[in-house]
Amino acid sequence: MLFIPIFHNLPNIYNEAMKKINYLNIFIYQNLHKNLSGVIMSVDFRGQKEKNLIALLLVLGFSCFLTYCFQFIPEKSTFLANQFFGPIILVSLWHRRRIWLAPFFLAAIFVFIEIFSQRFGYLLPEDYFRLIMFIFIVIVVAFLGERIEKVRMLNDLNEKLKKQTERLEDANNELEAFAYSVSHDLRVPLRAIDGFSRILLEDYGDKLDDEGKRLIDIVRDNTMKMGQLIDDILLLSRAGRQEMKISEIDVEALANSVFEELKHSMEDRNVQLEIKPLPTAYGDRTLLQQVFSNLLSNSVKFTRTKENAIIEVGADGVKNENVYYVKDNGVGFDMKYVNKLFGLFQRLHTPDEFEGTGVGLSIVQRIIRRHGGNVWGEGKVDEGATIYFTLPGKKEDLKNHLS
Amino acid sequence: MSLDEVEILLVEDNPTDAELTIRALRKNNLANKLVWVKDGAEALDFLFATGAYSERNMEGLPRLILLDLRMPKVDGLEVLQRIKADERTMKIPVVVLTSSKEDRDIVESYKLGVNSYVSKPVEFDEFTEAVSTLGLYWILLNKPPE
Repeated sequence: MLFIPIFHNLPNIYNEAMKKINYLNIFIYQNLHKNLSGVIMSVDFRGQKEKNLIALLLVLGFSCFLTYCFQFIPEKSTFLANQFFGPIILVSLWHRRRIWLAPFFLAAIFVFIEIFSQRFGYLLPEDYFRLIMFIFIVIVVAFLGERIEKVRMLNDLNEKLKKQTERLEDANNELEAFAYSVSHDLRVPLRAIDGFSRILLEDYGDKLDDEGKRLIDIVRDNTMKMGQLIDDILLLSRAGRQEMKISEIDVEALANSVFEELKHSMEDRNVQLEIKPLPTAYGDRTLLQQVFSNLLSNSVKFTRTKENAIIEVGADGVKNENVYYVKDNGVGFDMKYVNKLFGLFQRLHTPDEFEGTGVGLSIVQRIIRRHGGNVWGEGKVDEGATIYFTLPGKKEDLKNHLS
Repeated sequence: MSLDEVEILLVEDNPTDAELTIRALRKNNLANKLVWVKDGAEALDFLFATGAYSERNMEGLPRLILLDLRMPKVDGLEVLQRIKADERTMKIPVVVLTSSKEDRDIVESYKLGVNSYVSKPVEFDEFTEAVSTLGLYWILLNKPPE
């Protein structure tokens, strides 16, 4: 409070001078009185925190100067009415926050100061009272300015987000065009390579020796692999962009039907499937079918070297999230490489051991994440692998994730 | 072969695909009365006896049209739309035979009234099988309106 006596003396000096230009005083008063809200509001709080502080100090200084030099606040009541409620209402109209609380808060402070000063039998000089009130107002207005600035920043961010979304949409469209072109344009030459190497074999087979035929087989084998790769890439891109149709899924029935479909690819094998009771989940049927198809066919593939393959599908419920798992007793994997499990085109086996493109688990991950779930794996070399994934058990959870 | 008694009109811009298709059909003796046009514009000229085919008799319509979708100038969907919109050609069975497996192509084709949609398999045996199956079905088994 040291600075107040200095300021307190200032008005006396200035008042002497001001009396001499009373006319001007009244003129300025009348105008400023009406426009003080505008003066305060026009201070730009935009930018950094330091800048805001400077702006706050400027307003503070300017308001002290106004209060003491021009003595333009004749009564508390009109002061409150015009200088205080004016900007408050202005600002509240602006962004409809809880700013209407501010006048009540300030009024409480004023009442407290009055009571406090009366309690100690000390009447606050009018000038001090005005100064305190003014400082409060300025702080409040600065605070409001800060909030307005936040809204402004939010708007800016929104704008940026909108542009970003547009760019993302563009990129997505490009990706779609790319996927389309992959599905069409890459298949054409591939079919030609496969077809004509086959025709070569059919029409000129008698002129080729075994080595020649073997070489042609290599060509055909590789076109098959490339065809598979194209199909998998397309599946992956579809898993990411296909619109989701949400319904309640009987996961148990889904797992069963997928396994039935896989059966034709393992006629000569002894594969035992054990499906434990599975809770229903919410999600897109086609996409979840893809998940089970990829996981179960992986299990079937990687148990190929075992005499008795056992695949188990089960679940543990944790609150709203259902944790499902697909477990097998196949060749498993080294936990050292677990971080590569879901990587695109990442493989933990050579093509000689097990065929594959390294896309399957990426697709699984993409689909589960689109459902707001998580997926992870555990394994041990020669003992088997378990892939866990979570799915929302409640429709609201999925809706919250998607919105 | 006279252009007025064509059985199959093959609309295909890619010569290797066309050759594979014709080869598959020939194995079933279905390629004797086949005309191969290389894009949508030529297909329309052939069907409506305009342009290079203005000498052709409009009455002699093919019994089956094998139509690729992505072609230069006039694409397959537009050809399909023109065929199905015209009183004279709307009864000809049109089979879309394309590399595209895109849902929107399939949906759009059916909306325009395609009779069948076949996605060309990459694998040669499957491709041959698919083409000869649909050739046999549409030319020998299927009963068109008189």
